[in-house]
Parts: sequence; structure tokens; C-alpha cells
Amino acid sequence: MKNYCRQIKGLINRFLADSFTLDRHWVRNHVANCPRCQRRIMLLGKVELAMSLLKSQPHRLDLLMRANTQAIGVLKHALRTTPKAEMLRNIRPEPGIIEKLSKYKRSLINAAACIAIAVLMKTSVFSSGQTFERQANKAMEHYYASNAGEDIARDIFTPQA
Amino acid sequence: MAGRAVSIELLWDVAIPKTLEEAQGWVLCAMQQHGRELVNMLWRILGNEQDVCDAYQDTFLRLAHHEYGSKPENVKAYVFRSASNIAISILRYKLQQNNLTSKITVKSNASSPATELDSRYMTQTLRAGITQLPDHLRDVVTLHDLGDLPYEQVARILGISTATARVYRCKAVQLLAARMRKENTQ
Repeated sequence: MKNYCRQIKGLINRFLADSFTLDRHWVRNHVANCPRCQRRIMLLGKVELAMSLLKSQPHRLDLLMRANTQAIGVLKHALRTTPKAEMLRNIRPEPGIIEKLSKYKRSLINAAACIAIAVLMKTSVFSSGQTFERQANKAMEHYYASNAGEDIARDIFTPQA
Repeated sequence: MAGRAVSIELLWDVAIPKTLEEAQGWVLCAMQQHGRELVNMLWRILGNEQDVCDAYQDTFLRLAHHEYGSKPENVKAYVFRSASNIAISILRYKLQQNNLTSKITVKSNASSPATELDSRYMTQTLRAGITQLPDHLRDVVTLHDLGDLPYEQVARILGISTATARVYRCKAVQLLAARMRKENTQ
């Protein structure tokens, strides 16, 4: 077994910095047989898992409202009585544009794929049509040149100004 | 004369709130703009709703009193860094308070594999680990991982380059992994 430990250690660093994926054939092969790398990856995976758990814990929907109310309560009176402060006291967390659009993600991807295919088809159809026309013209010119003479072929196929 | 004094007083009453509202309206704007992200970050750091509200309040109180009420150059950076620091202070204090009891309860069960994968145990250990990280590494972890800010913004807030932010995050995760291993072997 070739010793890839040092290389994999470097790759793990890049993986942690979100700039690399460990899903490569030789990496998987090495890690499957190397207890040291297995332990290293397992520990880092545990941290990532704990991070995901922290992120996935939900809080109550009115937390932002309560936090705003408490924070506004200690600001100056003039700020507390503004319409904006009132609005912030009753604010509810609303999903952002990306989250709102996430349910349409699949349809959007499909639509984009269809558009891309249509564009590619159109461009390839047109370009192959043009190539076909050019080739046909050349063949015809060659035929006329060999059967009727160069001068006539030139007269027919030379584009007129 | 008295009537004039009264009218001047009334003028003051009307004028002061107006100027204050104009002068510090940006505090409410900041609350509106960054409130949601801040609450999420604080919730992930602290895991307790009352603590989140307290840290959030302290953050905006600090913002409103920043250099006698003047607006910081980068409000987002100020707000996120203050919130992160306040939350970590609260967390440290709480961990110190619960140190003895939590050590007893955690250590008594720490050796079993079921506990190792217990979500509560894991998040508790991670939070404790984050409080013990060096400041520069901790800031990157809290802003990037718990605050969901991209590296570019984290770098701008902390005044470092994006590459440095990535390196700090990498070092922080390695330290956290070492700490978690230590916790499990103890």
C-alpha cells in the first residue's frame, strides 16, 4: 500500500476549508486500509456532525419578535415609539427569496435544462445547415468545372457584388 | 416671560425626540436588516432562548451607545462581532457555573458509544470547545459556521483575507476534533 497519509492530511485541510471533496477513488482506497486516516476523518466528521446538529436545532417562531421587543425596550424613548420599532416588535421570521424559491428548484432546473437543450439544438442545427449548404455549393461548383468548364463554373458560383 | 419659558420647554420636548429619532434611526434599521441572522447565530451559540434575547439586547444597546451614539463605519461587522463576543461570554459564564455538575453527568456516560453519538452530548461538547478556542479561530467559526456568513464576508468583518479565514476555520475544526477526542477518552 502506497503511503498517501501526508497527501491525504493536506487534502483534509483543503476539505475543511470547503475547497476540496474527499470523494476520489485513490483517497477512498487509501482510507479504507489506513487506520490513522480513518481516525482522523472520523474525528473531523464528528465535529462536522456536531455543527450540523447545532444548525438543525429549531427555535420558536416568535424568538425574533421577543428578542426585538426586549432590545427595543432598552433603547431611548424616541426610538421606542417610532412606527419602525412597532413593526419590529411584531415581526415574524419570513423565509428569504432563496428559501421561497427552493420549492420551485426542481422545476426551475428542468426548465433551465430544457432551454439549454433547445439553444444547443438550435445553434447546432443552424451551424450544420450552413456547413451542409457550403459543402453542396462546393460539390456543384466542382461538377460544373469538370463538365462545363472553369469559366462557366466561376460565372455561376462567384458571388456577384 | 413664564409663557415664553413654557413654549421653549415645549419646543425642546418636541425637538429632542425628533433629532434622536433621526440620529439613531439606523439602530432600528440595523435591527431590521441583521436581526434574523443574528438571532439564528445567537441561538446556535447559546441554545437557550432567554440567553439569546439577553445577548441580542446587549448587542443593540452597545450599538446605540457606540462612541456617544455615533454610527460605526461597518454596522454589520460591529453587530456580528459584538453579538458573538457577548454570546461567548454568556456561554463561558454558564459553563463555569455548571462545570461541576455537567462534568459529573457527562463523564459518567461519556464512555458508551451511544452517548458519543448523542446529539445533546455532542452539541454540548462542541459549544464548550468553541469557548476554548483562541479568539481569532473562534471568530471565524462563529461567523462562518454558526452565523452562516460566507468566507468573503467573514474576512471583511474580521479584517483578514479570505484565504486566512479558510485557514483559521481549518485549524479551528482540527482543534475542536482534538478536544472532542480528549473528552471521549477521559
